[in-house]
Amino acid sequence: MQRNEIQSKILTILEDLFEFEKPGLNDNLRDDHGFDSIDAIELLGEIEKILGFSLTRAEKEKAMTIRTINDILDYIEAIESERNK
Amino acid sequence: MKRRVVITECSAITPIGYNKDDIIQSLKQGRSGVKPLRDDGLLTEFIHSHVFGTVDYPIDYQFKRLYTKTMGPVAYYACQVAKDILERAGLSQDFISSGRLGVAFSSTHGSPTVQREIYKTFFSNLKSEFSSIGAVDYLKSMVHTTAVNITRMFGITGRVVASSTACTTSSQSIGFGYEMVKYGMQDAMICGGADEYDTTTVAVFDNLLACSVAFNDTPECTPRPFDTKRDGLVVGEGAGAVLLEEYESAKKRGAPILAEVIGFACNNNGGDLILPNLEGITATLKIALDDAGITPGDVDFISAHATATKMGDVIEAQAIADVYGNAPLVTGLKSYMGHTMGSCGAIETILTLYMMEKGFIAPTLNLDTVDERCAMINHTRKLTSIDTKIAAIQNFAFGGVNTCLLIKNGNSSAD
Repeated sequence: MQRNEIQSKILTILEDLFEFEKPGLNDNLRDDHGFDSIDAIELLGEIEKILGFSLTRAEKEKAMTIRTINDILDYIEAIESERNK
Repeated sequence: MKRRVVITECSAITPIGYNKDDIIQSLKQGRSGVKPLRDDGLLTEFIHSHVFGTVDYPIDYQFKRLYTKTMGPVAYYACQVAKDILERAGLSQDFISSGRLGVAFSSTHGSPTVQREIYKTFFSNLKSEFSSIGAVDYLKSMVHTTAVNITRMFGITGRVVASSTACTTSSQSIGFGYEMVKYGMQDAMICGGADEYDTTTVAVFDNLLACSVAFNDTPECTPRPFDTKRDGLVVGEGAGAVLLEEYESAKKRGAPILAEVIGFACNNNGGDLILPNLEGITATLKIALDDAGITPGDVDFISAHATATKMGDVIEAQAIADVYGNAPLVTGLKSYMGHTMGSCGAIETILTLYMMEKGFIAPTLNLDTVDERCAMINHTRKLTSIDTKIAAIQNFAFGGVNTCLLIKNGNSSAD
């Protein structure tokens, strides 16, 4: 999946499901949009739908360092790349 | 330490209206909120009872996603009535978050709508690549979801009590809240209950042959508490919340005193989990009077549990007759709304507050011919003007749990 495509899907999810207003790729998810631990778990569920497979426990734990939307995109690309090796 | 406890705010979402004026008009005009059972696409076709106490008007929820992400439909009801009373009370955020304000609130079984979605995953998507159970589905469906969504939304840090005891859920909420404030553990409590549209509850009572089935084509004619043609209860939905405060502090801040809670009783039949028990219920009514330090003759009005089941109404009438004789007026308010389950105790308390304030008692709807086994008490047969000083609100639940609340009109509660 191209990064542009992932970005479009993630932005749609953040705006429609998480009610983000004018999300910026380098916004701090928590400070700028009130993103909390519940949202993080919910977002992982949405990422699984984008990827089409379940994330492992280890893969999910790697998501705990995500701070920005760009971090989300990096994370998805890394997972996809790792799985396609 | 024993302190006086007063009700200073209330709000209810009911099948006969949301705001006070609508509810009072429904009571005065004999308007029923029982409608045809909505199709859920799952159980409805297998249920014999096709009537339901329905909230069918729009509610303008203005909750942000920050809060709604952990809320099922039942929590929407709960947070809305809690929001109403907090906004009207105007309590400071400092007090709300001081640890001296608690919440006693619950529902029959969390959110069945969310639980149903979880079960759908179990039974239809077991081989799915990834789980479709949401991370917050438990928070939306757990039995104390209403109470903790209220604490979260308003930043309440005091005690949480989530007594989930079916039909006595919210009467226990008020009773336990009353005891918290009375004995000084909290200075104020938001108390109540809520239950959302749910066909599994209807199916449960339907299986027990306890639901009304003879009036499917004329929903407004059922339930019929104490009537010879009663054929069972009607499940309903709704929510009710009251704000309890310690009397002196409520008076100091100039809060309206709607009523004083003067007594509460809660016991168990200690046996059968379904059948009503005359001994247990009679004891409840007496314990409440003892707690309030009043005599039966002091009570002007009884809001009976009166679900319109064959035996329940007879046993309750006998208990009332044994304790009170035939002096106080008795109304079965479920005749207007059906049985709103976990919210019925709070809703029936709030309707009683409204009637107290406006100086009338509504008659039991659909009570055309009193069953002779229930005839020994003073049924309210027509809209009656009366200055009610003290009222009893009675509720009884599956599991043999019985409650009785005694409240004194705010106009009579001055020093």
